[in-house]
Amino acid sequence: MIPGAFDYHRPKSVAEAIALLNDLGDDARPIAGGHSLIPMMKMRLASPSHLVDLRGLADLAFIRAEGGEVVIGAMTTQHQVIASADLAARLPLLRETALQIADPQIRYLGTIGGNVANGDPGNDMPAVMMCLDAQYEVQGQGGSRRVAAREFYQGAYFTALEPGELVTAIRIPVPPAGHKAAYEKLKRKIGDYAIAAAAVLLEVSGGKITRASIALTNVGETPLLADAASDLLVGQAPDKALCKKAGQAAAAIAAPASDARGPVAYRRQMAGIMTERALIRALGL
Amino acid sequence: MPLDNAPEGKRKFNVVGTRPLRPDGIDKVTGRAKFGADASAPGQLVGRILRSPHAHAIIRKIDTSKAEKLPGVKAVITRDDFPDHTGGSGGLYDTLCNVMAREKAFYEGHAVAAVAATSASIARQALKLIKVDYEVLPHVTDVDEAMKPGAPLLHKDMFTDGVDPKPKKPSNIARRFEFGHGDVEAGFKKADIIVERSFKTEAAHQGYIEPHAALASMGPDGSAELWCCTQGHYMVRDVCSQLLGIDIARLRVTQSEIGGGFGGKTTVFIEPVALALARKANRPVKVVMTREEVFKASGPTASTSIDIKIGVTKDGLITAADGVFRYQGGPFQGCSPAEFGAMSAFAQFHLDNVRAVAYDVVCNRPKTISYRAPGAPMANFAVESVIEELAHKLGMEPIDFRIKNAAREGTKSSYGPVYGPIGLGATLEAAKNHPHFKAPLGPNQGRGMAAGFWFNFGGQSCVTLNIPVDGSITVSVGSPDIGGSRAAMCMMVAEEMGIPYDHVRAIIADTSALGYNDVTDGSRTTFATGMACILAARDAIKKLCARAAATWGIPEDAVKWENGYAKPAGPNAGDFAPLSLKEIAEASPGTGGPIAGHHEFSADGAGVSFATHICDVEVDPETGRSSIVRYTVIQDAGKAVHPSYVEGQFQGGAVQGIGWALNEEYIYGKDGRLQNAGFLDYRIPVCSDLPMIDTQILEIPNPGHPYGVRGVGETSIVPPLAAIANAVANATGVRFTQIPLSPPRVLKGIEEAKKAGGRKAA
Repeated sequence: MIPGAFDYHRPKSVAEAIALLNDLGDDARPIAGGHSLIPMMKMRLASPSHLVDLRGLADLAFIRAEGGEVVIGAMTTQHQVIASADLAARLPLLRETALQIADPQIRYLGTIGGNVANGDPGNDMPAVMMCLDAQYEVQGQGGSRRVAAREFYQGAYFTALEPGELVTAIRIPVPPAGHKAAYEKLKRKIGDYAIAAAAVLLEVSGGKITRASIALTNVGETPLLADAASDLLVGQAPDKALCKKAGQAAAAIAAPASDARGPVAYRRQMAGIMTERALIRALGL
Repeated sequence: MPLDNAPEGKRKFNVVGTRPLRPDGIDKVTGRAKFGADASAPGQLVGRILRSPHAHAIIRKIDTSKAEKLPGVKAVITRDDFPDHTGGSGGLYDTLCNVMAREKAFYEGHAVAAVAATSASIARQALKLIKVDYEVLPHVTDVDEAMKPGAPLLHKDMFTDGVDPKPKKPSNIARRFEFGHGDVEAGFKKADIIVERSFKTEAAHQGYIEPHAALASMGPDGSAELWCCTQGHYMVRDVCSQLLGIDIARLRVTQSEIGGGFGGKTTVFIEPVALALARKANRPVKVVMTREEVFKASGPTASTSIDIKIGVTKDGLITAADGVFRYQGGPFQGCSPAEFGAMSAFAQFHLDNVRAVAYDVVCNRPKTISYRAPGAPMANFAVESVIEELAHKLGMEPIDFRIKNAAREGTKSSYGPVYGPIGLGATLEAAKNHPHFKAPLGPNQGRGMAAGFWFNFGGQSCVTLNIPVDGSITVSVGSPDIGGSRAAMCMMVAEEMGIPYDHVRAIIADTSALGYNDVTDGSRTTFATGMACILAARDAIKKLCARAAATWGIPEDAVKWENGYAKPAGPNAGDFAPLSLKEIAEASPGTGGPIAGHHEFSADGAGVSFATHICDVEVDPETGRSSIVRYTVIQDAGKAVHPSYVEGQFQGGAVQGIGWALNEEYIYGKDGRLQNAGFLDYRIPVCSDLPMIDTQILEIPNPGHPYGVRGVGETSIVPPLAAIANAVANATGVRFTQIPLSPPRVLKGIEEAKKAGGRKAA
């Protein structure tokens, strides 16, 4: 439980951070809140030679509205997400999710950027961002680009980030007022990663579901977008049987590992139950 | 020592029973308190331990030559640095084998070598340079597997004790115990209903926040000092000096503040290693365990396999109770609490026919040590689960069934002694009358209960009390304070002296300052060391009265002590203005010098303790997840010296039991290695997982203590496993016989019962 030796760097700007990451090469890792990376270093699952601490980048801690989008700086902490009245009003799903991450001490330090960029399948925000169809602003030496959350995750701890790139902000299209959303997370106890969790976003008009999006946490190498499950909701009048069907469709794509949280079959079944419950709660059934 | 004002026990108290702030509180919340890892010494080295990666292996050779040559390394030690001063057998020899492996490594994490170096990174590098040649052997970590013929043998010379004739073949069964009375076979013949079930419990760790830490120094003349976090620094002194072959009086041990013990710090692990390193390096050495080391190489509690059979008549009278208790205690004999499990299992019942057979079994797991009421929670889980099931079969309210069969004053206990006044019946009646018991339950909720027992212990204590010239008081005790006992000591002294609580300060003295004090265990400190404080205060009062008598020129027995003043005992003694404690203390330099009180003894008469717990659990039928929604602890404290800290003990035990019942377990891989050696995957409950734990203190005085005190620290972890399992059974209709009640296990049970069409056991 002791990490290997590493050098520590604390850049003052994004440009400096990116230059450092590029100079130091593959052995350097950026660190934000550190709540995924440091345990991995302590268990020697990661042994970077250099840590580039992003906590000096104060200009990356912000939440603002830009047109029809909310933009959240990568160094915004989960606590700041929870405390934002604007987010609570326009994107309550984010606050609801952040409140289910770890415990208050961790949320004071843990950042939304670290949560989405690390590629840890146990993190909660990636599935939520896929559900909301968010875009990540990625900056590297060659300039900046945008990557859709739905295209970002390639495997456990593998993402679309190239070496030397940083996620600097998250752009989330704000769903229309009156949209319905929920995040249901099953965990053994407070502070734990999900046994299975599901994020849902719905719009209902004229008694029919007009838009649906479902994503799953910690039941695969990456967060999973449950397209087949959401497709069978669209155009339908919402009821509990429909939610159950969608839950089953979501469970069908789950590919969890067997671990201390439970065997494969149990965790797959729970992905379905969490989806069903999120839908029922979002729809007020 | 008899209860004051017996038999009514209606002494009026001024300080005892109030709730003042603990003297160690401010230091703890401001960070000024010094824990195990907080001490440093000039020239100190960092000590680290190399541990076996194998669950079972012969250590053929250890080559330390490369490590010794690494610059900055000042000492490397192995088994060769621990010559056997113990005589080669018995518990002390096993402790020697555990602190540093000899012929074999018996579990993953077993210490095989240690280094002292000028920095932590050099020490770690040095560990990598030590080459250990292992011959890996087959291993066994499950208690039932370990008992099978043909199981990998840990010791070729282990022939089960307690069996007649002694077996000719070695096995992993160290000893068989049997307790009970009457004729169980005849009892079962009289029964109308018999329930027989088998149970399993997994090992749990005490989960104290503070890892083990020790700072050792040893001079060339063999005199040594040790600073460490422990529940018993006198035990540490005696064991270490014997293992190292030095005079006990040469080793001075100071106990740090302790960040939790719960029984886990009642033995030595790193302390002899730190001393041996310091001796070899001739420099102070500090060793601090990592959390991973705490899980793998300290002493969790036993895992168990238990069979229970209980028979009852139609009208709910138990005719016989029989149990087999198999406990694995790691690789050495006498470490599992099998004996206590069997002794305590049926202790809450009045039984004519009872038998409890226990097997102490060795396995390739860490050497277990006490965990709060060692051995009792698992036995209670099995017995109280069967009791609940019998009550349902009888169509009787489980609480009425328990009341009907409850042990009472005069009952011959299942483990032998006849009970004096006990509080079991009172806790059951209080439970029945508690608002919790009648509160309505929501959907998917079930209510469970269980009653539990613990022996409690007295033991050796030695206390000195000093009165400086301003009349304030210092009490030196030798019992580490793991649950607010310093406050309790101050209160009892203030009570006796008739002065305010905040005029008294208690300190934990080092081993050279006082006579021997037993480890803080067995819920003994407030009872036994507290009684020594009372008697030391009475000794000081005698001396204070003598000073007053000399001042007045009257006989000593003509002076009495009342509310902090020496007074003439009666009109015949003379007419003198009372002298206050402060006045006598102020004059003491001229009246004979310092005034001190002292008491040393071995306390008998620790009153047994009973508790009844009520628990409401909500089980999610689709996920199998259980949440505790309401919990009430009702326990007999004899006399609660500081009610808040008594309530804290009740709550703490309940919470640790909840963790054990629902989440906590040692998970071993097929390779015999622990899979969850950290708090990330060994989940202990935190406040947000829990409801407020309600408490009710009952006071049925213990006749063996002047105030009626009984120990309270351990009984509270005994009933939770069963209370929760019974609540889950009542919520789901499924009887679970294995803990922890993890969500996958509970869901599987619910779904299988659904398929089978109703109630069943899982």
